[in-house]
Amino acid sequence: MNAKTIQLTINGEARSVDVGAGESLLHLLRRIGFTGVKNGCDEGACGACTVILNGRTVNACLTFAFQAAGGRVETIEFLGNFENPHPLQKALADEGAVQCGYCIPGMILSAKALLDRKAAPTDEEWSLHLDGNLCRCTGYEKIQSALRKLVAAQGGDQ
Amino acid sequence: MSVFKDFVLPRSVDEARAALKQLGAEGMPVAGGTALSFLRHKEPKVAVDLSRAGLSGIAAENGGFEIGAMTSITALREFAAPGWVLDRVAHRFVTQQIRNQSTLGGNITRVFAWCDFPVALLALDASITIASDTPRAVDADEFFAGQPVRLLKAGELVRSIHVPAVRAGEGFGYRKHTRVEADFSQATAAARVKVEKGVITGARVALGASIPMPVRLPAVEQALVGRKGAIHVVNEAVALIGTRTWRSVAGFSQDYIRHLASVAVADAITDAWKAAVEGRA
Amino acid sequence: MSRNFQVVNKSVRKIDALALALGKPMYAGDKVPPGALHIKFLWSPHAHAVIKSIDIRAAEQLPGVRCVLYHGNVPRIPHTTAGQGYPEPSPYDTFMFDTKVRFVGDRVAAVAADTPEIAAAAVAAIQVEYEVLSAVLSIDDAMKDGAPVIHDEPDAFAKIPVQYEPGKNLAAFVGMDVGNLDEGLAGADVVVDESYYAHYAQHCPIEPHVAFGYMDPEGRLVIVTSTQVPFHVRRIVAQCIEMPIRQIRVIKPRIGGGFGVKQEVLMEDVVAMMTVRTQKPCLLTFTREEEFVSSRTRHPIRTRIRLGAKKDGTFTAYGMDCLSNTGAYGSHALTVVCNCGSKMLPLYRAKNIHFTGTAVYTNLPVGGAYRGYGATQSSFAVESAMDELAEKLGVDPLALRQQNHIVSGETSPVFRALGEGKAGVEQSIGSCELAKCITLGAKEIGWKKRGDWRKKTGRMRRGIGMACLMQGSSIPEIDMGAASIKMNEDGSFNLLMGATDLGTGSDTVLAQIGAEALGCDVSKIIVYSSDTDMTPFDVGAYASSTTYLSGAAVKNCAEKVVKQILAVAGQMLGRKPSELAHGDSVVRAKDGSGQVTYSEIALHSLYNAEQHQIGAMSSHITHKSPPPFSAHFVEVEIDTETGALKLLKYVAAVDCGTAINPKLAEGQTEGGVMNGISYALTEEYLFSATGRMTNASFQDYKLFSMRDKPEIKTILVPSYEKTGPYGAKSVSEICINGALPAIANAIYNAVGVRLREGPFTAEKIWRGLRAMGAKA
Repeated sequence: MNAKTIQLTINGEARSVDVGAGESLLHLLRRIGFTGVKNGCDEGACGACTVILNGRTVNACLTFAFQAAGGRVETIEFLGNFENPHPLQKALADEGAVQCGYCIPGMILSAKALLDRKAAPTDEEWSLHLDGNLCRCTGYEKIQSALRKLVAAQGGDQ
Repeated sequence: MSVFKDFVLPRSVDEARAALKQLGAEGMPVAGGTALSFLRHKEPKVAVDLSRAGLSGIAAENGGFEIGAMTSITALREFAAPGWVLDRVAHRFVTQQIRNQSTLGGNITRVFAWCDFPVALLALDASITIASDTPRAVDADEFFAGQPVRLLKAGELVRSIHVPAVRAGEGFGYRKHTRVEADFSQATAAARVKVEKGVITGARVALGASIPMPVRLPAVEQALVGRKGAIHVVNEAVALIGTRTWRSVAGFSQDYIRHLASVAVADAITDAWKAAVEGRA
Repeated sequence: MSRNFQVVNKSVRKIDALALALGKPMYAGDKVPPGALHIKFLWSPHAHAVIKSIDIRAAEQLPGVRCVLYHGNVPRIPHTTAGQGYPEPSPYDTFMFDTKVRFVGDRVAAVAADTPEIAAAAVAAIQVEYEVLSAVLSIDDAMKDGAPVIHDEPDAFAKIPVQYEPGKNLAAFVGMDVGNLDEGLAGADVVVDESYYAHYAQHCPIEPHVAFGYMDPEGRLVIVTSTQVPFHVRRIVAQCIEMPIRQIRVIKPRIGGGFGVKQEVLMEDVVAMMTVRTQKPCLLTFTREEEFVSSRTRHPIRTRIRLGAKKDGTFTAYGMDCLSNTGAYGSHALTVVCNCGSKMLPLYRAKNIHFTGTAVYTNLPVGGAYRGYGATQSSFAVESAMDELAEKLGVDPLALRQQNHIVSGETSPVFRALGEGKAGVEQSIGSCELAKCITLGAKEIGWKKRGDWRKKTGRMRRGIGMACLMQGSSIPEIDMGAASIKMNEDGSFNLLMGATDLGTGSDTVLAQIGAEALGCDVSKIIVYSSDTDMTPFDVGAYASSTTYLSGAAVKNCAEKVVKQILAVAGQMLGRKPSELAHGDSVVRAKDGSGQVTYSEIALHSLYNAEQHQIGAMSSHITHKSPPPFSAHFVEVEIDTETGALKLLKYVAAVDCGTAINPKLAEGQTEGGVMNGISYALTEEYLFSATGRMTNASFQDYKLFSMRDKPEIKTILVPSYEKTGPYGAKSVSEICINGALPAIANAIYNAVGVRLREGPFTAEKIWRGLRAMGAKA
């Protein structure tokens, strides 16, 4: 397989990386240390590998690394830290919405991509935008209530 | 074995076409790329990534909408204008991540049995513009008469899709049956109906997913035209779907899929007819 | 019932939640040592075949291939993959690699190579000659005279005296009778005699199985694995690779869901063998397809229920006969089918009780532990039959349940008769708020508006159904959990446990129990679980045991530590321990004359006088398995044209004793409910005519997403279980069991179609409607 160099921005940092022609963005990101991107099915059906590419969520497993060339990639590692978590990270943690946690980075990124566009999404909008993120632990109930509470706390204007 | 052995990232349609011409059988245009796992190749190909070629966007023109081939399903879902109905199709399309990545051009150029947009475009009487040394428009009936990729010679690409707006007095109906929201369709039906003074004066009805390739249903359409809309009229028309090669989907029997298809068609027609009468698209 | 708790019964934040939400590297797959070799399996393409020859030379010669394992170069040691107490009640019918394959997806060989691509190429290069045998692809075929014998190897055996006859494809049998069922049925005014089939399904943790091994600098083998049972992994790996237990360390990091499928030693034996042979780190990750085909499933079970009742609704006979398909190996074969009876038979009073559980081998994917563990399968049967009986009696099915369900202070002969591979333990019911669960749930769903299906009209018809449930909490007098606690200078405590948090929040729940007893905030508890070198033993996360069993071990341990704290504080304050009180990380003289902080006590004990480490270890076993109880209610809407079903609302009222962490208890309930719903409506294994699973992918095997979920309402109905830590019972398993029967009953209530086989697809409902001629 030919390796080629591409430029892309990962979590705000310009990077130059060698990628295989058939390499997935998931494989690339985990290979260079972004292990917050999880592999759950490798077939675009579970959303554990969700990242934000140019402002929109994609399944990194279904995205070829070359498709991200010149693009902006955001992974969970970009969102927050212990001292200053992203409001979504805090909301889900506080509400008991994080059980095994394996789906959570993808779930949070899907929620962030919506929240970046719309300040106070409705239940229906959350569900539509998070429909590609499977969770086997929570039944989604606590995730939904965390999102509702977050919107309410931010003075939802719907 | 990897799907690709190399990739090129053209910055325009001309660059993309030049690359494909040069690569010949080795080259493979990549739109969203989400359906590539369904394809099997003997030899790895060279990906020609169309995402930077400036083919994305929706413009209202000529009494309809000109949709760039690389327009994402999400963009179709979020777009709103009088007479625009593809948002309904997009709304029932797989998951957010795949709506973001998949493109209209990708969904219609290599048609799998479960693809939704060909069904809608057949009912809407869309036409497809092909970028070529001899650019041309192909109507949906011809485009979907076989696997569309058959129409593309080396270096040719689907550039855009023109969809006529659904006008006053017309209605559009769309039904899709799945086990859960994000699932391969078991039966997809779309109908566009024109009603004047209570009488159906035009109908285009299409069916997919339940059969190997999407089709229009001319016998059903003819049975509707000239009739006053009513449930028995719809049922008489649906009875004319005829004998088909019914698929067996996800453990569901052909017998059931056949039945489901007839319900989907009847519901789509009914929705379209009601929308036309009530003055909604 | 509620007590004056400081830490328990409060929804503190799950202690690992924020780190997980930040995407920190916490799972096995995030910690793989650089340069690890990649292991891939060659799986059997045949359901039943003898391996006549294997040629691994071409594979071995590929550059980058480091090791190829097959039956010819590994020890042949019969064992079970089931992570259960030793000696296990599952038959020793499994070998690392065998000369025979018994299902499509069975192990043939494995390769370790420098890259996954090379490993895959090497797997493809292995030449195997099979003699294909006729396959057994159903329960009925397995039991036919002259059926092909799946386990004809002479060295398979049952480790404990249980009924095991591999020559008849019988993996396990268990039975019991109280009174005489036939007499009870003869004396009944109304009898229901129906069979119900709970189908194949998979656990679908979003993290597939992953494990890696490496040799530590001192030559010991370390295995890091996504397991629910680290201590069983260590023991079984030691057995399979013939290495002393002292040479092996098993570490369980965070795991991405288990639900029972990681209560199984499915990959660690090969990871261990590869690591030892190559002396290099070796990684094995299942693909989603492998997770479906080659890991473990829910045992499909056909249950015949015979219920006899008098006109007044009293039961004269309650019979249950379960036929379980354990697949190609007998992992959990006996205990799952036994649980069908032991968990659901005591729920209703009857004079004459009968039970048989039969597990047969087939050439299909292998059953294993799965949340619910037999009770899922039998509750479908029992709770459907209850509605069928109520219909025949002409009574409200809710009232029939109220009339007959077990209550506090009662016992059941079933508890004593059915144990796990041996006799059970007698117990009477302590806490039980099932009655309240029923009334609260009924109110929430609007049971009063429920009408007869015969009066419903229109294309869309709604129906309401319910089910009652019970489970257990631990396996009495078999399971053991242990914990150790030591105190640090700042008054914090290390809590080391073998108990295995598989995403449920048990680390948090156990920390809360420890903090309550120690008299400190939960933030002062530093939890470490589980690591066979560092933490005391625990059987692991299964059998709804962690809160009840391991929680009691933590409580006992903390109480020992408190005694030591009071002793040191007494020295410091010049008081007897009985004159002191502890709480808020402070010890105070009850007369108000003085106080010392936990930090001061720790510093004193470590540095100042009679220096010693304040700390303790405790073990716990249980003598009861107090059942949690639950009542589930669901409202559905059915399109009579297509049979499509829409869930409108689901209500789960559950009595789990004291909820140590109410939010996490609700979360367990909601997750179990959703898994149950998805199982009831869409999840199933589809097979080709030759026994190959044809939908082994998340694209084809559908889980519910947020967009599919109905409104789910959880009602925690508190009780106080005196034998549990701070009144707690279990909560994790019970709530997966309700959806199948409650939805089946709701479908009947909506359209009069009685489905006795899952999943309840649109086609099955449509066929039922068509058979009735009741098209709209």
